[in-house]
Amino acid sequence: MVWSWIPQNIGQIGQLTLQNAYLGIVSAMLGLGISVPLGIICVRWRLLYPPVLSIASAIYAIPSLALFVVLIAFTGLSDATVIIPLTLFSLCVLVPNVVDGLRSVPEPVRQAATAMGFGPLRRLAQVELPVAIPVIIAGLRVATVSSISLASLGQLIGVSSLGYFFIDGLQRDFPTEVYAGIAMVIVLALAADLLLIVIRRMLTPWQRRRAEPMPPAVLTPAPADRDLAGVS
Amino acid sequence: MITFENVTKRYADGTVAVDGLSLEVPQGKTVVLVGPSGCGKTTSLRMINRLVEPTDGRILLDGQDVLAGNPSALRRGIGYVIQHTGLFPHRTIEDNIATVPLLNGWKKAKARGRAHELMDLVGLDRGMASRYPHQLSGGQQQRVGVARALAADPPVLLMDEPFSAVDPIVRASLQDELLRLQADLRKTVVFVTHDIEEAIKVGDLVAVFRPGGRLVQLDTPERLLGYPADEYVEDFVGFDRGIRRLSFFDAVGLDLDLTAVLPQETMAADATQVAKGIGEPWVLVVDSQRYPLGWLALADLEAAPELATLADLALIGFGHTFRPDTDSLRAALDATVLSRTGRAVGVDSAGHVVGVTTYERMRSAIQSAEEAAAERHSGWQG
Repeated sequence: MVWSWIPQNIGQIGQLTLQNAYLGIVSAMLGLGISVPLGIICVRWRLLYPPVLSIASAIYAIPSLALFVVLIAFTGLSDATVIIPLTLFSLCVLVPNVVDGLRSVPEPVRQAATAMGFGPLRRLAQVELPVAIPVIIAGLRVATVSSISLASLGQLIGVSSLGYFFIDGLQRDFPTEVYAGIAMVIVLALAADLLLIVIRRMLTPWQRRRAEPMPPAVLTPAPADRDLAGVS
Repeated sequence: MITFENVTKRYADGTVAVDGLSLEVPQGKTVVLVGPSGCGKTTSLRMINRLVEPTDGRILLDGQDVLAGNPSALRRGIGYVIQHTGLFPHRTIEDNIATVPLLNGWKKAKARGRAHELMDLVGLDRGMASRYPHQLSGGQQQRVGVARALAADPPVLLMDEPFSAVDPIVRASLQDELLRLQADLRKTVVFVTHDIEEAIKVGDLVAVFRPGGRLVQLDTPERLLGYPADEYVEDFVGFDRGIRRLSFFDAVGLDLDLTAVLPQETMAADATQVAKGIGEPWVLVVDSQRYPLGWLALADLEAAPELATLADLALIGFGHTFRPDTDSLRAALDATVLSRTGRAVGVDSAGHVVGVTTYERMRSAIQSAEEAAAERHSGWQG
């Protein structure tokens, strides 16, 4: 480790960290924006859920670099070329979490809401989505961390991110740079995760005195299992 | 008033949940639908607020077919309480209770004010207003459920096994609370339970269902206990129905004896004379205010020293008392059975003795109450 490299390059480290954060967080947010309506549709029309999940899993299986390369033809070397694949990848985690979150609303709660005179949309907005927030945010945490990590690969097609330090460090045979890049990706991921925990606590004051729920999401859900869960 | 007109619910797989139900729930009365699981009682209830829609027949709410209008508007005029409360976990107690007023477009402050009134009404401490449902006990959550159902002051209240998930002591207090509320509010209540005791306690009328969704008997609790329509109802009503029915007969008609009630200043010799004269083996000793002190056996009176008063002699505890003006014959009989002397002490609201029972007096009171009920029953049938 050449510690002195770090203060000398602090400006670049900061700039690439911000750029990497931007790519990762925007992707996860866009993923959430797509997953919430998609998840609602999959809960309402349950037969749609298995094919939606299969497609999301299939997309997730595409190597990210390959998808970047394909997209260059359409979006060039812009941020969109990284953000679009990362958004699509995040669906694989987020859609199941939105669906599970909505399904986690206890049946008596749903029934009581209907019987109180909530129409379907109001019930969704005022009862079901709020109650599903902990599960949805658990998925968002995984999606965000994974997007931040994957965003560094954008450097391979020239979209700047912390990946620059990996490539540059490798080419110059200068490990300090690689380590600094890895450390910043981890710091960034942890910071984003912490931020989401804080947001969840603010949005779900009713859960404050309970034990932390375990995030039910896994990074790579097994498509076969999910399909069965969707049909049953 | 709620009217079921030949209502049937048949599911796509051919299962008949409710079979040709005709039933009237009078304004301001509580009708309990009772029966084993799968008898269609809950389905019948849910058809009133359209959580389930009937296959055949009509349900009228004050003459209007419930299927006619908008379901959400219908439901906001019908309170709904369920077993697992269905409280919104993400809303505070006050906001849970304020749900329907808020849906009806009330301002938040006004709706919360109403929620606080209802917390008082159902016996919840206002300090709980900003807590969340999971921080409350089961019994408290159920009170919140009742308050939420009543918040918009709906004329109709549907209760689906509302007290089944709480322990027996809490259940009894919730039932008492419901009776107290209902005495003031006079809602039209449809109450579903599988517990016949609960049905008899809370219902003005009880509708007994059998599996397959058929109504077997609709009657007052007293008539259900006295005149079960068939063997099924008799089995369902269960053990001890003769004794339980006495709960519905007032003790006020009981002919109480006062001749064997003597003040403690009475000389033992005089008391012996009195007891022998009326052929009573026991006398009840009272103080100058006519509060009961205890029983004395005739044998002890005869063995008492000369010049002794009743106050000088050892008494046997008078046991449980009953109130002839408010209690039932069942309470009077119970006190009589529990007493070591086979006699129970009737008292007024201040605890003064108004007389004592004997088995013989109980027997004739029960007999005349049953004869009167039989007369009402035959009149009602004709």
